[in-house]
Amino acid sequence: MDYFKEIALEQDLITKISEQRDKIQHQQKELAESLKYASSIQSALLPDLRYFKKLFPENFVMFKPRDIVSGDFYWYGRKGSRVAVAAADCTGHGVPGAFMSMLGISFLDEIVSKGVPGANSILNRLRENVMKALHQTGEVGEHKDGMDIALCVFDLEKMEMEYSGAFNPLYLIRKGVLHETRGDKMPIGINAVVEKSFTNHCIKLKQGDLIYLFSDGYADQFGGPYNKKFKYNPLKELLVKISKKPLEAQKKDLERSFIKWKADCEQLDDVLLIGLKI
Amino acid sequence: MWFKLFRIKNYRSIVDTGWNELASDNITGLIGQNESGKTSILEALNSFYSGKISDDILRSDLSLPEVSCSFSLTSAELKKFFSEKKVPEKILDLIHKSGQIALTRTWNADMSSYLSFGDEQVREFYMELEDKQKAFEEKTLSGLYRVLEEAKKAEGDRGNALMEKEETKKELRALELILARARKIDGKKPTKDTQNQLQKLLLEEERLKKRFEKKKSALESRSGRLADLSDNSRFAQLCLDTLDELDKAKGLWEESYRELYDIQIYFDSLHTEREIKGIKGKLDMVNANHLKNDRKLEKSRSRASFSVAVTSRILKGMDPSEAEDLVEKEIRKQAAYYSEFELAEQAFMHIPIFELFEDFSSLLPNRIDLEDIFTANSAVEGFKAARNFLIVSGLKSTFFEERSSRILKQKIEKLNNDLSLNFQDYWRQNLGKDNKIEIHFELEHYDNTHPDKMGKPYLEFWIKDEQERLYPKQRSRGVRWFLSFYLELKANAIENKDRSRVFLIDEPGLSLHARAQEDVLAVFEDIKDDIQIMYSTHSPHLININKLYRLLAIQRAVEDDMKSETVIFDPRSLNEASTDTLSPIYTLMGTKLSDHQFVKKKNNVIVEDTPTYYYLSTIFSLAGYKKEMYFLPATDVNNVPTLVNLLIGWKLDFVVLLDDDSDGNRIYRELRRTHYHDNDEIASRKLIRLDSGGSVEDLFSTIDFKNFVLHKRVGITESNSEYIEMNELSKAKLASDFILDVQNNKIKLEDFDDETIDNISRLIKKLDNVLS
Repeated sequence: MDYFKEIALEQDLITKISEQRDKIQHQQKELAESLKYASSIQSALLPDLRYFKKLFPENFVMFKPRDIVSGDFYWYGRKGSRVAVAAADCTGHGVPGAFMSMLGISFLDEIVSKGVPGANSILNRLRENVMKALHQTGEVGEHKDGMDIALCVFDLEKMEMEYSGAFNPLYLIRKGVLHETRGDKMPIGINAVVEKSFTNHCIKLKQGDLIYLFSDGYADQFGGPYNKKFKYNPLKELLVKISKKPLEAQKKDLERSFIKWKADCEQLDDVLLIGLKI
Repeated sequence: MWFKLFRIKNYRSIVDTGWNELASDNITGLIGQNESGKTSILEALNSFYSGKISDDILRSDLSLPEVSCSFSLTSAELKKFFSEKKVPEKILDLIHKSGQIALTRTWNADMSSYLSFGDEQVREFYMELEDKQKAFEEKTLSGLYRVLEEAKKAEGDRGNALMEKEETKKELRALELILARARKIDGKKPTKDTQNQLQKLLLEEERLKKRFEKKKSALESRSGRLADLSDNSRFAQLCLDTLDELDKAKGLWEESYRELYDIQIYFDSLHTEREIKGIKGKLDMVNANHLKNDRKLEKSRSRASFSVAVTSRILKGMDPSEAEDLVEKEIRKQAAYYSEFELAEQAFMHIPIFELFEDFSSLLPNRIDLEDIFTANSAVEGFKAARNFLIVSGLKSTFFEERSSRILKQKIEKLNNDLSLNFQDYWRQNLGKDNKIEIHFELEHYDNTHPDKMGKPYLEFWIKDEQERLYPKQRSRGVRWFLSFYLELKANAIENKDRSRVFLIDEPGLSLHARAQEDVLAVFEDIKDDIQIMYSTHSPHLININKLYRLLAIQRAVEDDMKSETVIFDPRSLNEASTDTLSPIYTLMGTKLSDHQFVKKKNNVIVEDTPTYYYLSTIFSLAGYKKEMYFLPATDVNNVPTLVNLLIGWKLDFVVLLDDDSDGNRIYRELRRTHYHDNDEIASRKLIRLDSGGSVEDLFSTIDFKNFVLHKRVGITESNSEYIEMNELSKAKLASDFILDVQNNKIKLEDFDDETIDNISRLIKKLDNVLS
């Protein structure tokens, strides 16, 4: 009698567990589908790279989200002869990062809608928009979300560019030598100290100059023989090493090098790297 | 301790002002129309200190007044002022957190009042304690009644048991008699019947004996219970007696208080000395009786609370003497902490002294006898002013003891010089041409024209200018008022160095000329480090345009409805006050401009309004612009054409600088059409627009606007002027704060970012191109 009772109970348990498994699988599927859908919306919001190719015939965008949706985003906007290009990295990754990135893209589009202002002016205005949207006033306990960004404004007629950065730097390789311009040490969003204007760096361009904008995902990836970060100096060396190659080949090298470094480690953050040739 | 915040409830037209902050630099001005409630605020604060109110302050719904004031308190002060006992931990935490203590005076229906300590949180803490004590007393009281009830029941039970025992005993005795008789019969002639009968009786006797034993033990148990309860019931009864005594003491206290209150009112209404004398004896007697009852009540109260505490422990099974020891120990422990009442009392001893000045009627006399001053004969004319004069001069009676009249004269001469110089620092009003007044005093002695006082010294006062030396009474009332005011404030500041003061001044300098009213402000500035000042005024001359943060605007909730309640607008929300309330500020802006004699032959720049005028004058001076130019503010964009016509009429050269908004553009088109026949070339030389897309505030980059004008960290995506409009901020207040910061060197041109500098440079260049 007891034996039959045990069997019945076991069967009952198995049914319950399989029901729950089915439920979880269903939820997972739904979640994956909605994330996939969100990802397609995010992709649609990201600017069309075909048109970007017309502005910069030689370019690459290495964009490797950690999850289905990404907290990093690339963006460009054009009015007349002025083109603004940005690589941004929102706080968090996955869904929260994606929300922030959508805000960032919309704000940037709006800022350049009547003309492309100075690079620092774009960042100043972007910060105002983010602070306003997130109701940031510097009070204790509020959300400190924001984004880091490197943004350039090119005037290819005048062969000039402006760069302004929130933490993220600009690398320019000219004749095989890498020149780094550092961004200001303040984010797009509320900061511990009062807001100051972002610095506008004006740079004269030369034919063949290589410009790189990126998030911290590549340099911060753990891996290698001692499971350490890739870091910025190796990235600089790598960029200089491959600088003579065409941009498409550079992208492949960068991807290969990233995969090799990462090996079996998990990708820790979204990765974004933009390369342009003048 | 500094006075920081106040809140007034149910005082004349005031229902509840909410908490209002005083100006951080100790001068707070109340502006508003007549009957708005300015004086009520000053009087309410004075009542807070004095505890006195009159019938006329009560509101028609008879809700009772309550005035709360909050004071800053440093850790050192806390330690010093509350050193005799311990402050409860929770209250210490609250004080440390806020750095302030609040006191509230609440009035009762009979106009008496009491002080309570702390803000809502502190009061909640004490209310919780009170509730706990109340619950404890109620619980103990119900315990007392229960014990008494039980004791009563036990007594009844014992009585019943005794009765039953006695009855059984009686039955047993009766049976014993029958049994003896039956034994006798059976002994004489035993038969079966007698044997049976005897057997039956023996059985019955055994039953009764058993019953008796049972009743006996029941009685013993009841008696035991009664004995157990009787101790407790005795203590319970004693406790109830003390509570009864307390009730009786309360009754007596109320009775004598009512008697004293009635007789006091009657006494206060008396006028003649005879009447007063007649009732004085009775008043003293009633007062003494009430004092006796007061002491009795206090004694009864402490006895009752002690008894309740002890009895509650006895009822829980504690030994009575142990319970008494424990309660005494608890009382001692509790007494080591300040009670709410003691905290309030202690704090009140150290808060600043509040003084209300409604008028300065004691004007400086022509002369006063030294004897009257040093014997404090306050009835003599001008006593207060003369006494204040001596305090300000630092003169004591020993000064006049100098035997050598030559030395004394020299001393007086020197003193006269020092004193006049000090007074002249404030009194800038010219008398006649370049003359400024001086106050002099001299020591004289009565001659034989005053036989009764002959040889006695007196002081003679003079108010002197370069042309003449006149007695105070020969001078205008305005001069004498200012002098009395100056002496009163200075003397008070000197006399009370050890304890801070709050001066509540109603309409100072009402009879003074505009310039002299500004001098009143200068006196305030001079004493503000020692004395906090709150004053009411209608006068623009008693307002510092650069210090609008000092103002509280007072008005009725419904404008022009004198039955509606009084409301207060703090400096951050001045713009919400009505135009009439703010009229002194607007008048002042205009008056200040007129001081500059600002219309010149050339290079006049007409701007839309006064904030624009202030911003541009300040910014151009910050930028070090050298060319002579004169900004002329119209009171509103719509008045720009009128000003243009005026200047054209006077044949004065000008350009117009308009905002780049819809109103500015409308006036631009109107002027271009009416004055320049739509000739763009001429118009462009006369009509300039701020090209930053809006108003003068848009000259600042968003970041500079936030950092230097708004002083707030918030995301702004619209233009600065749109932000001001959407958030209903006061343009005048923002402009005033900005100017003040520039004047105090808190803002320099190099602090601005490139965008602001660009905007300013562009505007300067634009104007420079059209100015000659």
